[in-house]
Amino acid sequence: MFFNSLAFAVFLPIVFFLYWFVFNKTKSTQNALLIIASYYFYSCWDWRFLFLLVFSTFLDYYTGIQIEKGKSEKSRKFWFWLSIIVNLGFLGIFKYYNFFAASFSELLGSAGIQASPILLNVILPVGISFYTFHGLSYVIDIYYKRIKAEYNFVDYSLFVSYFPLLVAGPIERATHLLPQVKVKREFDFQVAKEGIYQIIWGLVKKVVIADTCAIYANAIFDHYTSMNSFSLILGAIYFAFQIYGDFSGYSDIALGVSKLFGLDLLRNFNYPYFSRDIAEFWRRWHISLSSWFRDYLYIPLGGSKGGLWMKIRNTFIIFVVSGFWHGANWTYVVWGFINAVYFLPLLLSNSNRNNMDAIQLKFNFDSVKVLLSILYTFSLTCIAWVFFRAKSITDAVQYLKRMITSKDFSFQYLDNERYSYELLLMIGLFVLVEWNNRNKIEPLSGKSSLLKLALAIAAILALGTYSDYKEFIYFQF
Amino acid sequence: MNKFLIYTVKIIVITALVAVVLDGLYTAVFMQSRNRGKVETVFNSEAKKYDVVILGSSRANNHFVAQMFEDKGLKAFNYGMSGGHLFEASLMLKLMIERKYVIKNVILEADLNLSGEKKAEGIAALFLPYIHNSETIKKHFENEKDFYELYYIPFYRYIKYDGKIGFRETFFTAIHKKTSMLDNLGYYPLLKTKGANMKNDIVNLNPLPHNKYYEEIKSLCKANNINFIAVMTPMCENVKGMDYFDKVKKAYPEILNYENAVVEDKYFSSCGHMNDTGAKLFTARIINDFFVKK
Repeated sequence: MFFNSLAFAVFLPIVFFLYWFVFNKTKSTQNALLIIASYYFYSCWDWRFLFLLVFSTFLDYYTGIQIEKGKSEKSRKFWFWLSIIVNLGFLGIFKYYNFFAASFSELLGSAGIQASPILLNVILPVGISFYTFHGLSYVIDIYYKRIKAEYNFVDYSLFVSYFPLLVAGPIERATHLLPQVKVKREFDFQVAKEGIYQIIWGLVKKVVIADTCAIYANAIFDHYTSMNSFSLILGAIYFAFQIYGDFSGYSDIALGVSKLFGLDLLRNFNYPYFSRDIAEFWRRWHISLSSWFRDYLYIPLGGSKGGLWMKIRNTFIIFVVSGFWHGANWTYVVWGFINAVYFLPLLLSNSNRNNMDAIQLKFNFDSVKVLLSILYTFSLTCIAWVFFRAKSITDAVQYLKRMITSKDFSFQYLDNERYSYELLLMIGLFVLVEWNNRNKIEPLSGKSSLLKLALAIAAILALGTYSDYKEFIYFQF
Repeated sequence: MNKFLIYTVKIIVITALVAVVLDGLYTAVFMQSRNRGKVETVFNSEAKKYDVVILGSSRANNHFVAQMFEDKGLKAFNYGMSGGHLFEASLMLKLMIERKYVIKNVILEADLNLSGEKKAEGIAALFLPYIHNSETIKKHFENEKDFYELYYIPFYRYIKYDGKIGFRETFFTAIHKKTSMLDNLGYYPLLKTKGANMKNDIVNLNPLPHNKYYEEIKSLCKANNINFIAVMTPMCENVKGMDYFDKVKKAYPEILNYENAVVEDKYFSSCGHMNDTGAKLFTARIINDFFVKK
């Protein structure tokens, strides 16, 4: 059941009605309903994976309590590592086993040793990377005594399985979401209204921007050998907006839906393409994952403490692991590596925290510099996205090589009977709307909100892509 | 909560209003379209006279060179639609008759398309902008399972078929951007393509014994004094299940089998479609068989 499906349009009002009118007596009834709804929502993909979700929930719930209760450090460590190993073990088996088996076999093959790897015939359970990370953060926080273990199984289950964030995040923290599910939620009109704005803007990003860009990006990437420089540049830009519209659109809908139930989720995107450097980009893109890796990998590895080499090593580790988190393919690893390379000069010059302030533009030279740095950062991300989108590293390299060597900047007619440049106006308009509202969560609130809402609805209906339906990209991760 | 419910109702009303306005706007644009495609051209036309009208799928669109009929002094147009089924061919003929076209001969390509009665989604969609402006179109779609959604939910048809009649198509229609659909009197020539698939497997294909839309076209021709010529058109050499054409002949003895009128692969662009040279050979044969006095 996708957020932009008819099934969800029926599911959401039913759950909303039951939540506020039937199960509204106590926080326990509210939580019980949300769990039932969440399990139903998850089982719509494949009910068999529900067992995995329930097992993962129970594992972290139980080990969390045992860690807290542990009298000796040895016992605490045992339960801690049990949870880590089982959680990562499941992720490893379902997501990475085939990749490692095939890569190992290829490695042996290149050394002249023939091996036929035993591959597992399993499909990746939707959302496994997200709810595994939920559970991990919870257990790690208990182990380091940052939080108390949750003894109410229903409350804990809701933290892990809450349907708006279950399949593609944001990756929540126990410190943020658990306190909210521990109290009865009261309806707040303003919060619910904000939720509606976010849902509608999320839909604009998904069906108008992402799915339309996908048509052009696919046509260019799938036939890159016959594309000229201009088309290849456009292909990279279209994919940049496809993945942004897709994932940030999903996150907006998730946050908006959650607001309808009185629960606030972590913000996942903050206009990342208006970043002035790569460090700022990573503070604005998939914020819940970046901060997860910062808190649970980078800092435990020593963070920026220690010598220069330690800093560089830690930076490369989190970027490469972050890339690998996205999928079992070398293209994601290279994508992470490239971002680490981009980050390196900022780290070495100690300027990775330079652009912490909000962007202000005036009619002066500094503003031109700001705009150029935004454009430069966007170009760097587009180059990295080529690796993220390409089927293989060779394809990505060839794509970029052709982009430079073709030197033909004429308008090209694509295989899908559209001109490659057709979307530029729409993207330009979208960027303008986001730029003018970069200090807000979404552009629809504020003055003339009803008119803006009507325009957004008109855009969804008239400009959306429906016949060439695309699933949310991040569901595969 | 009451405030929120009122707010939700407002959004629903806004959505409905936007859908109605967009529906009106898009329909108005399609109502003045004349040079984009065959459907719009026929729908927005007035009475015409033809000696020969060609109907069918791509195997009509790419196989009958209308200009060769004209060269023989016969006014002709190829209304074959690539990807179309008999559902759309029948509706096209109904629209022509509704617009008082005077047609002497209809050549219908009837072979592979006899195996089903389903509409071709992408081609049938081209008629949908006019569903509220034509009883003929409305009636033709009435038995389709999604008729109620398409007819009663404003703008739904433009959303469902956005690739065919969505914003992009509406925009190009509004600015009267021309397509090549109407060039060559509707005939679309194919080139010889290197490495094209010259194999086809039609073993599992069976003609329906009484294809509803084929019978409809036949009856329409009879009722309007139109000479009805139904033909099977050529396929490449390497086809599995070639007895399909015999099965058609058995079920519909009046359909003439021209499957072997052109045989060599050099005359084909793909297994089911002849190239321009093949189409010319085939059209010459048809003209000779039906329109040359002997």
